Amino acid sequence: MSGPLLEAISLRKSFGPTPALADGSMELAAGEIVAVMGPSGSGKSTLLHCLACVMRPDAGRVVYAGRDLTAASDAELSALRRSDFGFVFQFGQLVPELSCRENVALPLRLDGVARREAERRADDWLGRLEVADLARQTPAQVSGGQGQRVAIARALATEPHVVFADEPTGALDSLNGEHVMQLLSDAAHESGAAVVLVTHEPRVAAWSDRDVVVRDGVSRVVEPVS
Amino acid sequence: MSRSDPRAANDAAPPGARPGRRPGHPGWPRELLLGARLARGGGRGAMVRVGLTALGVALGVALLLVAASLPHVLHARDQRVAAREETGFRGELRQPAANTLLIAATDGQFRDVLIRGRLVRPEGPDAPIPPGLTRLPASGQLIVSPHLLELLRSPEGKLLRQRLPQPIVGTIGDAGLEGPAESAYYLGSDDLRAGPGSPVERIDRFGNPNATPGLDSVLTTLAIVVLAALLLPIAVFIAAAVRFGGEARDRRLAALRLLGADARMTRRIAAGEALVAALIGTIAGVAIFLVGRAFAGHVALFGASVFPADVTPTASLALAVLLGVPAAAVIVTLVTLRRVVIEPLGTVRRAAPRRRRLSWRLALPVLGTLLLLPLVGHDVAAGETTHELQLATGIVLVLLGVAALLPWLVESVVRRLGGGGVAWQLAIRRLQLDSGTSARVVSGIAVAVAGAIALQTAFSGVEANYVKANGPASARGEAAVLLEREGPTPSVARLRTALAATPGVRAVTGAHVVPETHRPQGRGDPSAGPNTLTITVRTDSADDDAIDRVRTTAERIAPLAATYELGIRVVGRQYAALRRGLFAGAVAVLLLIGGSMLVGAIEQLQERRRPLAALAAFGTPRTTVARSILWQTAIPIALGLALALATGLALGAMLLRMVDAPVTFDLPQIAGMTAASATVVVLVTVLSFPALRRTMRPEGLRIE
Repeated sequence: MSGPLLEAISLRKSFGPTPALADGSMELAAGEIVAVMGPSGSGKSTLLHCLACVMRPDAGRVVYAGRDLTAASDAELSALRRSDFGFVFQFGQLVPELSCRENVALPLRLDGVARREAERRADDWLGRLEVADLARQTPAQVSGGQGQRVAIARALATEPHVVFADEPTGALDSLNGEHVMQLLSDAAHESGAAVVLVTHEPRVAAWSDRDVVVRDGVSRVVEPVS
Repeated sequence: MSRSDPRAANDAAPPGARPGRRPGHPGWPRELLLGARLARGGGRGAMVRVGLTALGVALGVALLLVAASLPHVLHARDQRVAAREETGFRGELRQPAANTLLIAATDGQFRDVLIRGRLVRPEGPDAPIPPGLTRLPASGQLIVSPHLLELLRSPEGKLLRQRLPQPIVGTIGDAGLEGPAESAYYLGSDDLRAGPGSPVERIDRFGNPNATPGLDSVLTTLAIVVLAALLLPIAVFIAAAVRFGGEARDRRLAALRLLGADARMTRRIAAGEALVAALIGTIAGVAIFLVGRAFAGHVALFGASVFPADVTPTASLALAVLLGVPAAAVIVTLVTLRRVVIEPLGTVRRAAPRRRRLSWRLALPVLGTLLLLPLVGHDVAAGETTHELQLATGIVLVLLGVAALLPWLVESVVRRLGGGGVAWQLAIRRLQLDSGTSARVVSGIAVAVAGAIALQTAFSGVEANYVKANGPASARGEAAVLLEREGPTPSVARLRTALAATPGVRAVTGAHVVPETHRPQGRGDPSAGPNTLTITVRTDSADDDAIDRVRTTAERIAPLAATYELGIRVVGRQYAALRRGLFAGAVAVLLLIGGSMLVGAIEQLQERRRPLAALAAFGTPRTTVARSILWQTAIPIALGLALALATGLALGAMLLRMVDAPVTFDLPQIAGMTAASATVVVLVTVLSFPALRRTMRPEGLRIE
């Protein structure tokens, strides 16, 4: 396929009278890691949520694999998120009542994979993210860094084309944050997934192939230094 | 240093004590007050929690106040009924006088409406005036109750107007009526004559000082169970309501720990918060009660109606409700927090999950059964207060056992469950993590169902004593017109001719004296003397109004004629009132608990909005989550209903043995009750779906 895998074109989004995104545009190629940077309240998370079809923009278009998603139904977007996208958030993302293994297996099971097979694949991903020993623990029983690794395993378990990571190291100390980013980057490269990484930390953004800066709701692509 | 020097107190304080706090002074009021302030100023979340708890408490308090008014409602009604009776002096007065009145009962029926009728004829200027009237109607004039007036003026009452065509010159006041929905009239008649064996009475006053329509022993037993079965779920419900929003509250308390509050202080602060919610709820409950009371006169539930003024709580019971509910809220909060370790750093960690213990939970029904078993074979309510107390305590303990055993049962069962689809897995894991919340809410329903099943069983067992057939079922469509020959009756031939000409009448089979033992059951005392004549009329069974036309014809020609529909079942008045009370109470309790379950379900969704939004983000279909919520409610309710069924049947059987009735189970009734409860649960789940839709919007992630 030629052209970008995912494209945002002049996205606009307001929450009541407050504009969050005035002109959000960016492109993402397959297998690429792009960091969306900006200060708090600049609109970078809103850009990610619109890109990931978690929320609908007020104006503008999102094109994925050549398909304009503007008119897609809620059910179609849900199915897309289930099969093609993966998500990692800052916190509160794991289902508290499920074990870590069941959390990772959950998107696979929603995709129709049999329970045993889904849990086998979940164990595999937990191993790759170095948290295999947490399989039977619940999210409340693991640390923040461990929880993020479980979340990354869950995001990658369905072998998505794009992983959306919103401040994935925001709640971690720098050492843990580095480790989580290393694992996310390696796992994404290994599986060929592209990553949209929202962060305000240059240290985290350094893991990306290129940056997009959002300021006052307007995105600007930062050309990579060759 | 003067005695008032604050340093003196500080000097005397043990090391580590706070300045300004006297040693040994627990600081209760201050911390309770702080909790109250937090409840008020804790932001939207705190306000929502306080609002939910207050709403739950308010509904419970309103219903408890209604229950506390029952003694007064019954007493006031009985007093009015006794005050208008004319049968207490039967046969005492032989001669007419200036202060005597002739009166005859003409009670009848119009469709399903029972009508109390009296013909009156004053024999002098000082004749007594019945309660609720300012004067006696002149001959050919009607004074009717407001409800009957409404019926007569409505299009539905056209047929009845033919029976009562006289001019209406007044209405009966509240003092002369059983309730606002009673249909009654006084009709002036110059034709009344008193005589030996006549149904016409001569009286010089109204009122029956000997009227003590107390319940018999069987009905007393049933009344105790009705009260216990209906009040206990309300208590269980209030206990569940004060736990609404517990997780958000725990997070706030954790923040207080960070500021230096110790574990005891946080518990007291939480108690203060609960107290505020309970106080607001109590005040709102009183308001709901007062507003509802104002409308009480306009509502007739299952034929029962009360005057607003009657709905006055007994002072001691009202005080118990107004003080007991807030106190219970504080106690429940403190007990709940025993199992929670609130730590600083904004985290709340559950104490090491301990399995629920069976021993004390089982002790409740066992103790209750031990209290009830000795009563088997005794005449329970034969005036012995100790037996009544033993019975009530036993029933309360057995029903409390249902509420206590259910959380243990749910925990034990879900611990062993696994497998299944995603929805099932989400539900089971949620219940494994915390089954208490669901089980507690379901407990109210389970207790209500157990009580109701016990009562259904008991009612079915003793039904034969209170429900009589008015002739064989094959006589359906027939009516019997009873005539007293001594009364002012027209010629039988004239009445027969008129009945035969009445539309809807197929045949008039004859007039004959019926032995007393063969007469149909009907109004309390049909005044049937030994010479009562019966005319049997066969009507067109397809014509619903035929029987009423027969009544109209009979009463227009022979005002004292009593017409009875044959082939139908006639239910004893007190028995019917008790069953109506059970139905009305069960409906109110089920609605209350349904409302509570809905509030609880929505509150749970609010608490879980983050994981739910995350689930939505990675594409989880709403139907999957909706199914999981249904399972989450259905599993505890299925276990709750099973427990309720077993307890209710056992309790019902014991009650039947107590009143020496054969043990039989009315399975359709029991299935109906169980199905109604299950319907409430399904309805609650369905009604919570809009909230689920809102919570599962992926936009919910934005808050992060």
